[in-house]
Amino acid sequence: MFFHIVLERNMQLHPRHFGRNLRDNIVAKLMKDVEGTCSGRHGFVVAITGIENIGKGLIRDGTGFVSFPVKYQCVVFRPFKGEILEAVVTMVNKMGFFAEAGPVQIFVSNHLIPDDMEFQSGDMPNYTTSDGSVKIQKDSEVRLKIIGTRVDATEIFCIGTIKDDFLGVINDPAAA
Amino acid sequence: MSVEPFNKLVKLAARAFYDDITTKGDNQPKTGRSDNRGIAVVVLDALTRRQWVREEDLAKDLKLHSKQLRRTLRFFEEEKLVTRDHRRETAKGAKIYSAAVAATVDGHPLKEGEEKVKMHTHSYCCLDYAQIYDVIRYRLHRMKKKLKDELDNKNTVQEYICPNCGKRYTALDALRLISMEDEFFHCESCNGELVAESDKLAAQEGGDGDDNARRRRREKLKDMLQNLEVQLKPLMDQLTRVKDLPVPEFGTLHAWEARASAAVRAANGDAGAIDPSKSSQGLGYGGTSLPFVGDTKVEVDFSGTEGKGENIKSETESSSLKVLPPWMIKEGMKLTKEQRGEVKQELRMDGSSAAVEFSDDKKATIENDDKKNIQDEYIKAYYAALLKKQQELDEAAKKEHELSNTHSLNGVSDTTSNRQVGIKSKRDEDEGDDDVEWEEAPVAGNSNENYKVNDLNVQADASGDDEDDIDWEEG
Ligand SMILES: [Zn+2]
Repeated sequence: MFFHIVLERNMQLHPRHFGRNLRDNIVAKLMKDVEGTCSGRHGFVVAITGIENIGKGLIRDGTGFVSFPVKYQCVVFRPFKGEILEAVVTMVNKMGFFAEAGPVQIFVSNHLIPDDMEFQSGDMPNYTTSDGSVKIQKDSEVRLKIIGTRVDATEIFCIGTIKDDFLGVINDPAAA
Repeated sequence: MSVEPFNKLVKLAARAFYDDITTKGDNQPKTGRSDNRGIAVVVLDALTRRQWVREEDLAKDLKLHSKQLRRTLRFFEEEKLVTRDHRRETAKGAKIYSAAVAATVDGHPLKEGEEKVKMHTHSYCCLDYAQIYDVIRYRLHRMKKKLKDELDNKNTVQEYICPNCGKRYTALDALRLISMEDEFFHCESCNGELVAESDKLAAQEGGDGDDNARRRRREKLKDMLQNLEVQLKPLMDQLTRVKDLPVPEFGTLHAWEARASAAVRAANGDAGAIDPSKSSQGLGYGGTSLPFVGDTKVEVDFSGTEGKGENIKSETESSSLKVLPPWMIKEGMKLTKEQRGEVKQELRMDGSSAAVEFSDDKKATIENDDKKNIQDEYIKAYYAALLKKQQELDEAAKKEHELSNTHSLNGVSDTTSNRQVGIKSKRDEDEGDDDVEWEEAPVAGNSNENYKVNDLNVQADASGDDEDDIDWEEG
């Protein structure tokens, strides 16, 4: 799920950036530092959408670096248990398949793949129905439901299922 | 507010879920003697017959050690079945409680001198019916959901085991377990090839391959689900029965005391019809002091011509002596005729002019119609036969007296309530059989209930609620 929230961060800036473009420099560095990171609490920071305010800088003893408290708005993506996601399959093996929904990695184990789909090994390992009409392989797009998340301080990993109504392959790259 | 359906709910739940709960201290040796399974059921049953009760008193009534009782109660508190209240009080405070339970004088020959000077912490407990209803529903819901989910393989996190070192992983670890060389997961510590857990289960059962294991597992789960539906049906029925009834609410200990003592005062004002001390004496509960749930509301119809004093007396008398079911009576027991149930009929017969009416619906009909008498005769004969049988059994196993008793009891498929109450508490203490005073349900209701249940066994066509004699599957 996506959220638009306000976060705060102390930015340390080298004195060489002090000048007319101080503010721009702070924002550029903030984007570089924050976008794409993941915190267990808020999820993945997708994009910074605005700066709320930049506080007074504090000169660090001995270094000359200055730290600015920055409040910024950003879009975060945080997967939840029970959430339905659309994801791209990245790897298929005997144990199941891995997929990505943006920054999130999801594993679907083989017992959460419908029983009528069988694993086929080969160059392009895949899960296929007996009549061959549905196939899950690398780069397939699937709709899946998250049934568990592992949230670490800097990482979120999910497991999902496609064994439910309206879940499974939503477009087949081989057919297209 | 009728407590009876809720009590039944509690009893059913007790037998379904708490039958083999042991509340043992960790350091106690695991000998047969200290096996206290079933205590939980006894305690819950006892609580259905009370409202707020001081835990010491309850321990005394049940002839349990207060520590053991407290452990059980603490367990039930965690299970959200029981609310407890602790307070420091002097002897005076204790008396407020005693007054509230309508037994001021005779109930407690306590060490009063001691209590006058010291403050003691007393604990009280009470069933929380509203919560019990929710807890049972939730528990059933969870049980069903878990089985169903597992049956559909929904929402279950696959587990993997390393066959070499036994280390376990879940699907959540999958990212760390993939290897570049092949398509399997590998153990982090020994690089062994991991196996999905259900496959391993199949391997243990000698199955071959995925499909077989999955099918077998499904069947097992289906069986479990079906058993659950069948065996817990009485409980679910009772839940639906109770659904729209107002839940009995005793309030906090303080509120309850205030209410109860007000009620006693009101009763005292009522032409001395029910003298609290007298009635509690009549109840003869081993010196306990509790207003029975069913007995608090006793209506006496004074339309009879006899003086009221007499009516009341006969009533208290009839409730004072417990009529023991014949199968409980053994040689050497000192019992009055009444307790043996021999005089009971006549008493009740002329009691009909007094038209004693118990407020509780179950107790409303006392056997003063002919049909009932015939049935009773029948049952008496049945019991006589049973007694004979029991004696035979006794001879066969003279040493294991109590055990044989259990068997014959089970043979009757009596209400489990009696079975538990009688037997388990007996096993618990090693006194002589003769002068043991059993903790018993209120006489009118219980004996009546017994007959009813056994009627069902004797007469196939008698209609009634037959969920009384469920055989719980044990273990
Ligand atoms: Zn290993």
